[in-house]
Amino acid sequence: MSTYVSPFDETTATPVAFAPRPASLAGARVVLLDISKARGSEFLDRLEERFRADGAFTHRLVKPTFSRRAPGEFLEQVKIHGDLAVEGLAD
Amino acid sequence: MLEAIAADAPAEPLRDGVVVFLESDCPTCRLTLDRFAAAGVRNVAVVFEDSAPVAARVARQAAYHGHVYAEAAPYATSERLAIETVPTTVRFDTDGNEVDRAVGWDRDRLAQLLGTPLGQDEPATKPGCAARWTYTAPPTDELEEMFELGYSDGLPVIPPTPERVMAMLGGRNPDATLGLVPPGMGEATYERVASCAVLAGCKPAYFPVVLAACTAMLDEAFNLNGLAVTTSPPGQTVIVNGPVRQAIGLHCGMGALGPGWRANMTIGRAVRLLVQLTGRGAPGSLDRGTLGHPGKLGLCIAEADTPWLPLHVERGYDATTSTATVIGCDAPLSISDHRSKTPEALAATIAWAAAATWSPNWWPLTDVTQLFVICPEHVMLFTEHGWSKDDVRNAIFAAPERRGADMITFGEAPPAAHADPDASFRKWLSPDQIMLVAAGGEAGRFSAVFGPCFGMGSTPITREIQ
Repeated sequence: MSTYVSPFDETTATPVAFAPRPASLAGARVVLLDISKARGSEFLDRLEERFRADGAFTHRLVKPTFSRRAPGEFLEQVKIHGDLAVEGLAD
Repeated sequence: MLEAIAADAPAEPLRDGVVVFLESDCPTCRLTLDRFAAAGVRNVAVVFEDSAPVAARVARQAAYHGHVYAEAAPYATSERLAIETVPTTVRFDTDGNEVDRAVGWDRDRLAQLLGTPLGQDEPATKPGCAARWTYTAPPTDELEEMFELGYSDGLPVIPPTPERVMAMLGGRNPDATLGLVPPGMGEATYERVASCAVLAGCKPAYFPVVLAACTAMLDEAFNLNGLAVTTSPPGQTVIVNGPVRQAIGLHCGMGALGPGWRANMTIGRAVRLLVQLTGRGAPGSLDRGTLGHPGKLGLCIAEADTPWLPLHVERGYDATTSTATVIGCDAPLSISDHRSKTPEALAATIAWAAAATWSPNWWPLTDVTQLFVICPEHVMLFTEHGWSKDDVRNAIFAAPERRGADMITFGEAPPAAHADPDASFRKWLSPDQIMLVAAGGEAGRFSAVFGPCFGMGSTPITREIQ
């Protein structure tokens, strides 16, 4: 192969590994992350019922806007309040 | 010689574990890697008979999280182990002796070899391809190599050799940076921007325009992150004003929206390649666009000289300054009006065509600036009646008006229309949301409105071309 000047930034290439799935939801702290899209909260309402029925504790967070990256302090809140998180999309 | 993709990978994977030998262009290999990833398999070392960048890209696409290696020609490891077919999966004992081997994709056999269920998806078996060392490969075609490396938007590109990139940089510092490119946040060093410009087919003379457009695009207020990942269609459209148009051959006349004009086509493409490659915003990957549109290959418009104030002067620049303005745009909708005799009638035609964009019943468009390209014959009708761009903007804004009751018989009517069927609605909140640019051939009464970039909170940005 010839040498080329890559347009890629290889420091962004590392795939992020999935965290292991929890064995049980009982007692788990679940962040339900509303990205502020229309009707996303309805979806999360239903999930919240199911999580609570399985014995999980839920915590709702609302991203300022769906169209921009979540601010760093917001992601910190996710980590503080949750053992796991569900991001509620829409459309 | 095996080359580990990740720094923490064991240097010698061929002992006490399982190794699968793959090639990037073998469909069965892709299937195998996808199935391993889907089954959560991580403890199989993957050896690609490919270059390291290709191996990394294919593993990333498959979301495979185990260790990945690449081996270049002449593929000595494969030959030594007599791997005649890919995929071949081999188990080694602690001394490095082979204790089991499965050839091709054989779901149940591989599940047995791995000791891990691999699902029930079909096909259960699929034969593989000949390993590369077993045949004489044709000489490398550098244009095909660009596709293998992922250096493409789907069309052939110019290989970014060091010599071409250096010429594109024109003495600029290759390590200088424009910042991080959403959505993947790769750093837009000048060298990477120049690589994208070479890939796109730019001449070095175009590079200052590419730099200015990319600088504008990375302004936080443009919200490239939103545009790059949304399911809606916007691309990053570039509008160029000032003397640079003539200096580098940017075309603003007949066929102004393309195709056919190298400077326009390649500058727009370079900007989009930066998003897709450096920013890793490739369609189907982080770019989640439902349909996209052909203008996302790249779209660069040069405004024509008319009696009107050019866009950059409207935006506060001196007429002798050259600028690049970026705006998020869906595809253009052509607006034919060959019959209007008055500016009011023509403005109404243009406005009502625009009223159908995004959705015929989504009124108003709250957070957009919408681009209109007005053709010379339409400009002439307006200017002969003494209408400035502001006059046209105000008339376009004022023309479409509907009652709630007229909208609620269709889908997607605004909630306020249901609440008050007698309420009056406009397509925009303000004339300031209407951006007018003159361009096109002398003959023909075809203007255009671009579908808006709605919901992204994106502000058009203008930057001076240095």
